[in-house]
Amino acid sequence: MVENSQNEVRLPAPSAAPMLFALGITLAFAGVVTSVSVSIVGIVIAIAGAVSWFSEVLPTEHEEMVTVTPESVVVVQAKLPVAYLEVGEQLNRAVLPLEIFPYTAGIKGGIAGGVVMAVLAVVQGIIFHGSPWYTINILAATAMPSLAQATTATLSAFNPETLAIALLIHATASLLVGLLYGVMLPMFPRYPAFFAAIVAPLLWTGLLWATLDVINPVLDLRIEWRWFILCQIAFGAVAGYVVDRTEKVRTLQHLPFAVRTGIEARYRANDDQKGDA
Amino acid sequence: MAGSIEQRIPLGAEGAVSLPLLDRIHQWVVTVDHKRLGLMYIAGGLVFFIVAGLQAMTIRLQLAIPNAGIVPPDMFNRLMTMHGTTMVFLVGMPILTGFFNYLVPLMIGARDLAFPRLNAFGFWLWLFGALLLYFSYIGGNGLYGAGSAPDVGWFAYAPLTERAFSRGNSTDYWILSIFLTSVGSTATALNLITTTFTMRCEGMTLRKMPVLVWMSLVVSFMILIVLPPLSAAQVMLLLDRFVGAHFFDTQAGGSAVLWQHFFWIFGHPEVYILVIPAFGFASEIIPVFSRKVIFGYEVMVAATVAIGFISMSVWAHHMFAVGMTPAGNAFFATSTMLVGVPTGIKIFNWIGTMWGGKIRFKVPMLFSVAFLLQFLIAGLTGIMLAVAPFDWQLTDTYFVVAHFHYVLVGAIIFMIFAAVYYWFPKATGKMLNEHLGKWHFWLFFIGFHLTFDTMHFAGLHGMPRRIYTYQPGRGLDTLNLIETFGALVQAAAVLCLFVNVVRSLRSGEEAGNDPWDAWTLEWATTSPPPAYNFVEQPVVRSRRPLWDLKHPDDPDSKYE
Amino acid sequence: MAAAPAVANQSQIEWKGSLPEKGRVGILLLILTESSFFAIFVVAYLFYIGKSLNGPYPKDVLSPPIINTICLLSSSITIVFAVRALRVGSIGTFTLWWLVTLALGLEFMIGTGLEWQELIYHDGLTISTNLFGTTFFSLVGLHALHVTIGLILILFVSILTLLGYMDRRYAERTEILSWYWHFVDAVWVVVFTTVYVIGR
Repeated sequence: MVENSQNEVRLPAPSAAPMLFALGITLAFAGVVTSVSVSIVGIVIAIAGAVSWFSEVLPTEHEEMVTVTPESVVVVQAKLPVAYLEVGEQLNRAVLPLEIFPYTAGIKGGIAGGVVMAVLAVVQGIIFHGSPWYTINILAATAMPSLAQATTATLSAFNPETLAIALLIHATASLLVGLLYGVMLPMFPRYPAFFAAIVAPLLWTGLLWATLDVINPVLDLRIEWRWFILCQIAFGAVAGYVVDRTEKVRTLQHLPFAVRTGIEARYRANDDQKGDA
Repeated sequence: MAGSIEQRIPLGAEGAVSLPLLDRIHQWVVTVDHKRLGLMYIAGGLVFFIVAGLQAMTIRLQLAIPNAGIVPPDMFNRLMTMHGTTMVFLVGMPILTGFFNYLVPLMIGARDLAFPRLNAFGFWLWLFGALLLYFSYIGGNGLYGAGSAPDVGWFAYAPLTERAFSRGNSTDYWILSIFLTSVGSTATALNLITTTFTMRCEGMTLRKMPVLVWMSLVVSFMILIVLPPLSAAQVMLLLDRFVGAHFFDTQAGGSAVLWQHFFWIFGHPEVYILVIPAFGFASEIIPVFSRKVIFGYEVMVAATVAIGFISMSVWAHHMFAVGMTPAGNAFFATSTMLVGVPTGIKIFNWIGTMWGGKIRFKVPMLFSVAFLLQFLIAGLTGIMLAVAPFDWQLTDTYFVVAHFHYVLVGAIIFMIFAAVYYWFPKATGKMLNEHLGKWHFWLFFIGFHLTFDTMHFAGLHGMPRRIYTYQPGRGLDTLNLIETFGALVQAAAVLCLFVNVVRSLRSGEEAGNDPWDAWTLEWATTSPPPAYNFVEQPVVRSRRPLWDLKHPDDPDSKYE
Repeated sequence: MAAAPAVANQSQIEWKGSLPEKGRVGILLLILTESSFFAIFVVAYLFYIGKSLNGPYPKDVLSPPIINTICLLSSSITIVFAVRALRVGSIGTFTLWWLVTLALGLEFMIGTGLEWQELIYHDGLTISTNLFGTTFFSLVGLHALHVTIGLILILFVSILTLLGYMDRRYAERTEILSWYWHFVDAVWVVVFTTVYVIGR
């Protein structure tokens, strides 16, 4: 569609052929559920439509010249100037920590807490059952249902398989909880030590105490809950202490939202945004 | 509008040219202009919207109180089937096709679609197919010899559709008419893609197209890929019913589950075919009424393409209850949840667009904000239903009905209303009344939530979908009464829209070329646009060509 | 809109040149949607292999139609020769190759007809006999329908050619028709593999 002159535009010519063709096809279909004669009429109409359609596009497409109304569309320039978002507007600030602990702090805390906890647990085994392997076997029993039925003698004996499983469980759990401490402690800016050493261990011990009775009642009988709480609190205190001692790192959050997301905004680099939290 | 004109085609086609009215009708019948065809699609779709809406009203009245007998049970089945079929194929598809037809050539600065006659063909095929479906009320030849409409549900599960169980021709009407409208839709989709690829105005690279045009592209590709499975399955069913083939005939070893697979391979992407245009409307309307450029254009487009791909691999989450393998359940549950990722990205992008903007709460924007809220909830219940065990509990209950109506009404119909208010001034040159529009919005918003929020609870209480009636005292009475009341409120809201349209056409405020101070090319021509769209072929340098002209001091082309 | 037309003309032409040709895009999209249509029939065929409750079974009655296949596939080559000849304007060569294509296509249809006659009247296999009959006749029949449409179009062009209306201006349209023909051939490769190799 290329214009010959400035005053006329070529457009495809109106045509009844598509409508005829569609009507014919529809009638041909409708004949399936009504009567063959409807189909025959439909096919005749469809052929008529197709022939007239073909004759309109062969050898070249029919077009008509439309005269252009010299009605020029004027786009008015805006009177208002463009307003920019100002970076770091207080109202738009989301409450997210500006500084966090590095992930390594959580890992270190988890390892330290895990070691202390393991030592305490073994001590408990020696004091109450005369065997350092007792608590280790109990921990492995959480993953090996067969052990839950075992006698005290079996549980007091050394078993390399249970030792490996217990170590794996203990290491994984310690690391994960340590990482969680690393992430969560900055969110408790007022009493992190209290949260880490007392609240968190009591929470998960309480959860275990309430549910273990249902999940594995035999194992539940063998757990000395006061020592258990002591071990957890020791873990929490040590892990929390190690994490809290670590130096914090700043996150991207201390940058204004607009800069972080790349919104087109005017950024005055000399603006100090430190105090906007 | 044009809805009444279409009913008189045979008269117009005969072509008496002496009378001015017939002359005008003749012009509409023989037109190949994308704008006229688009308007006819939208008008036709709105007419069927009224029809299907009245069907829904009847269903709701029947369910308002326990043991009601407003319609007989067999008519209830027909109502429910026709409501679903009409809303999907004769309302959603044509209105969205109509908007694309109207807007895509204008937005890319073209004079028409690539194949204008094919476009007209697609429209007429759709219209005649639609009329054929409704002719079944007269010619359906049901079980008792009287005329009757299809009653097998909109997804027509086998083997109930086989000759032995579905006597007469009502199911054949469903097959043939939907086949025809599908062919029409496929032709239009092909046309839209070709237009987008070959007829963009100078400077409009693919990455400078308006988001709506991208949405049209994705939707059209999806139509080309997923509509044929439905048509193919319908051909198989027709062969079963007429020449004794055994595709879905379980007694000869055929599989009824195969029909479910074929249907949902089409059926689930179809939801996205309907909702992605709504995304397109939102992506045009929200920036204009927030006075900001769309946030994350590239990501927006990429997310839509991702939705397009992922949506083709989730279909069997409609079929958790048929007993698939655990691996199949896990795959379809996971892929369904995956759709949440690009969808979530889009919601964040729209919020990012509004963030810090100077928001103007005109009617289109009100509908768009409600859309954001409701689409989010619809997505969340979708994630819930994607969990296979949860789905086993709630499949085929009103919870599912509530979920998909949240998508189809809460997202799609809301955005269609937004689009009607937004582009009506362009198509007619008249503004829609803002005051009446606000009545429309608030009534529809309140009615929508009354109806569909409560449906979730009815479903959780165990109300099965497609049920004809229920017993009193099972915790469903109050909920259903509220739902029906909400439906009536929605009907009142839609009445506001139609009053508004008629009043505006008669004596509306003049709109001018660019009433919303918008940025895409359709606002750079007159309202309504001339047949040739643009006097001179436009040249663009950014995604917002009109912004560049309005703000020569700070054009977008500087940043893109 | 912005630039004056006199300036825009040169860049306008360059811009238009950088966009693809619409007939080609259209036919590729048609092929895409048709492929999706065929895929469903192929899936149904594969799904129902070996699920027929009664005979005749594929291994009893089917033999690969080798000659048919050779004819149809080579018609894809002859149509390329024809279109190339038309591009350089030698109408005589075009007519020759075009008619050869037509003849090869016709041979395929005749061969399919004979095969069906054998199956229906000799082996007693119809679309309603069993699942094999259902899927075989619908899949092969669907393909044959597409070949028929292609043949009608090719015949139509042949008539125009013999009446002397053909010249090199229509090379582009002929090329687009040839793409459809290639698609029909490619589908036959899939159908052949499904029906006569995997399904037998």
